[in-house]
Amino acid sequence: MEGLPLYMKYQIPIEGYERFWEGLKKGEIVATRCKRCGNEYFPPRVNCTCGSSDMEWFEVKREGIVQTFSEVFSKPQGFEDFSYIVGIVNVGNLNLMCWLVGKPRVGSRVMLRTDGTRVIGDVVD
Amino acid sequence: MSSKVAVIGVGNSKFGKRDDVSIRELSWEAVQESLNDAGLTLQDIDLTIIGSTAYRGVEIYPAPVVAEYNGLVGKAPIRVEAACATGSAAALNAYMAIRSGLAKIVLAIGVDKMTEVGTATSLAIGGRGGNYQYEFHLYGTTFPTYYALYARRHMALYGTTEEDMALASVKAHKYALSNEKAHLRKSISVDDVLKSRVISSPLKLLDCSPISDGAAAVIFASEEVAKKITDAPVWIKGVGYSSDTSSLASRGEWTSLRSAREAANNAYSMAGIVPADVEYATVHDCFSIAEIIAYEDLGFAERGKGVSLLREGQTEKGGKVGTNLFGGLKAKGHPLGATGLSMIYEITKQMRDEAGSVQHQFKKYIALSHNVGGTGHYAYVFVYSR
Repeated sequence: MEGLPLYMKYQIPIEGYERFWEGLKKGEIVATRCKRCGNEYFPPRVNCTCGSSDMEWFEVKREGIVQTFSEVFSKPQGFEDFSYIVGIVNVGNLNLMCWLVGKPRVGSRVMLRTDGTRVIGDVVD
Repeated sequence: MSSKVAVIGVGNSKFGKRDDVSIRELSWEAVQESLNDAGLTLQDIDLTIIGSTAYRGVEIYPAPVVAEYNGLVGKAPIRVEAACATGSAAALNAYMAIRSGLAKIVLAIGVDKMTEVGTATSLAIGGRGGNYQYEFHLYGTTFPTYYALYARRHMALYGTTEEDMALASVKAHKYALSNEKAHLRKSISVDDVLKSRVISSPLKLLDCSPISDGAAAVIFASEEVAKKITDAPVWIKGVGYSSDTSSLASRGEWTSLRSAREAANNAYSMAGIVPADVEYATVHDCFSIAEIIAYEDLGFAERGKGVSLLREGQTEKGGKVGTNLFGGLKAKGHPLGATGLSMIYEITKQMRDEAGSVQHQFKKYIALSHNVGGTGHYAYVFVYSR
C-alpha cells in the first residue's frame, strides 16, 4: 500500500552569513578568519573553535588547483535538470567545493567565479 | 562492573528488497535468531539498544514499533544513529552499558527499511550525509559522489585503476553466492563492472553497494554471565572509534579516512595487537574504492598499496587476512542500521568455525570489524578473540 506522502519544506537562517550568500549573488567568494587566533574557515563560521566570536570576512584567492572531481550522473532530487562536475579546489589554506566547467584532471589550474548562486571553477589547463 | 564483554548470540534477517515485510517483521527475524542462538528468552534481556537511520522508511521513529513487536516494551529507551555505522554505534552502547555495570545482558538491534522511498529521494537523503548547507545544497553531491571524490584522488596519486577497483566488487559477489542472507547472489566479472552505467564518475553501478532492507541483532553479556551461558563466547578485545568533519572539502586529504585510521589505532592499542595479527576482517566496502582504502587505513597495506592485496588474493579465503568472505556490503547488502551488527554476526560465525564453505582457517582466532559512517564522519573498529 502507499504511505502518506511527507512534504518537508525548510526555512534556514542566514543571520551572520549574509556576506557569504549575498556575496555569491555579486560574484564574491568569502570565508571567515578569527581575529584572535588567525584560524581561517571555509565553510565560513561566526564562532572560532578557540572560543572567540570576533571574526572577519575575507575574499578567497581566485586561482586554485583541482584536488579531485566527479561528474554526477545519478542525480538527487532537486538537481535533475543540471549537468555538473563536482570538484574540490585548493586555494591557499582553504579547500572548497565548486562545480567545474571544462575538462578537469587532478592538478588542473582553475579560476574561480560565481554564477550568482554557487562557486564555479573554470578549468584553465 | 565487568571488565570483559562477550558476544553470546547473533541473528541476521535476509537482506534485500524486502517488500514482504514492514520494519517490525524484519527486525523479528534477526531478534528471534539471536535469542535462539544464545539460548535466552526475552526475560533475560536487561537493556535493548536500537540502531536505525530511519529516514528512508515510513517509520521515522522506528524504535518503539520495533521494541513493541519484539516483546521488548520497557527495555528499549535508546535509539542510536551514526549513519552507515549505526549498527556499530548500537554495539558500542551495549558494550558501554555492560562495562559500566549498568546491565549484564544487552540486545543490540540494527534495522533499516531503505527501499520504501524511490532512488532520487534516497540519493537526496544520502547527499545530506555530509555538510548540507555548503556542499549538498549548492552542489548536488550524492553519497556516491563523496566516495567518487576519494576514488578519483586515489587514482591520481597512486595509480589505482577502475579495473583495480572492480576486483573488490568481483570478490564480494563471489562470496555472496554462498551466503543465503545476501541481497545480490550473482557472480560478476571485471568487465561487467566496467560496463555498468556511471553513477558518479569514476564510480559505476557495480562499484556501489545496493540499497537494501535488513536487520541484524547481537546479544552481548558480561564475563560472568557469558561464561555461564555459553562455551563459545566471542570476546570484544578492543574498541576504537573516531569521527571527522561534516564538510568533505575541509578535510585536506581524500585518499584515506583519518577517522578510520584513528579508530583502528585505538582498537589495536586496547587489544594489544598489531595489524599483522588480524586473521579475519570485515571491512566497510560500501564502494569498491572503500575496500582498498580500508586495507590501508587498517594497516594491512601501506598507503596507496591497498590494491596489491586484491591483485595478489591476500584477502581471499586462505589469504593472509581473509576479508568479507560473506559478500561484503557490496553483495550481502548495506541496510545502514544493520550493517555494523551484521558484521559482528559474520565474525561470530567465523570465530565459532560455523562459516561453512567460506570458513577461514584461524591460528590465533583474532578478527576485526571496520565500520564507517558517512564518508568517515563516524568510524568504529572492534577487535575480537575467542
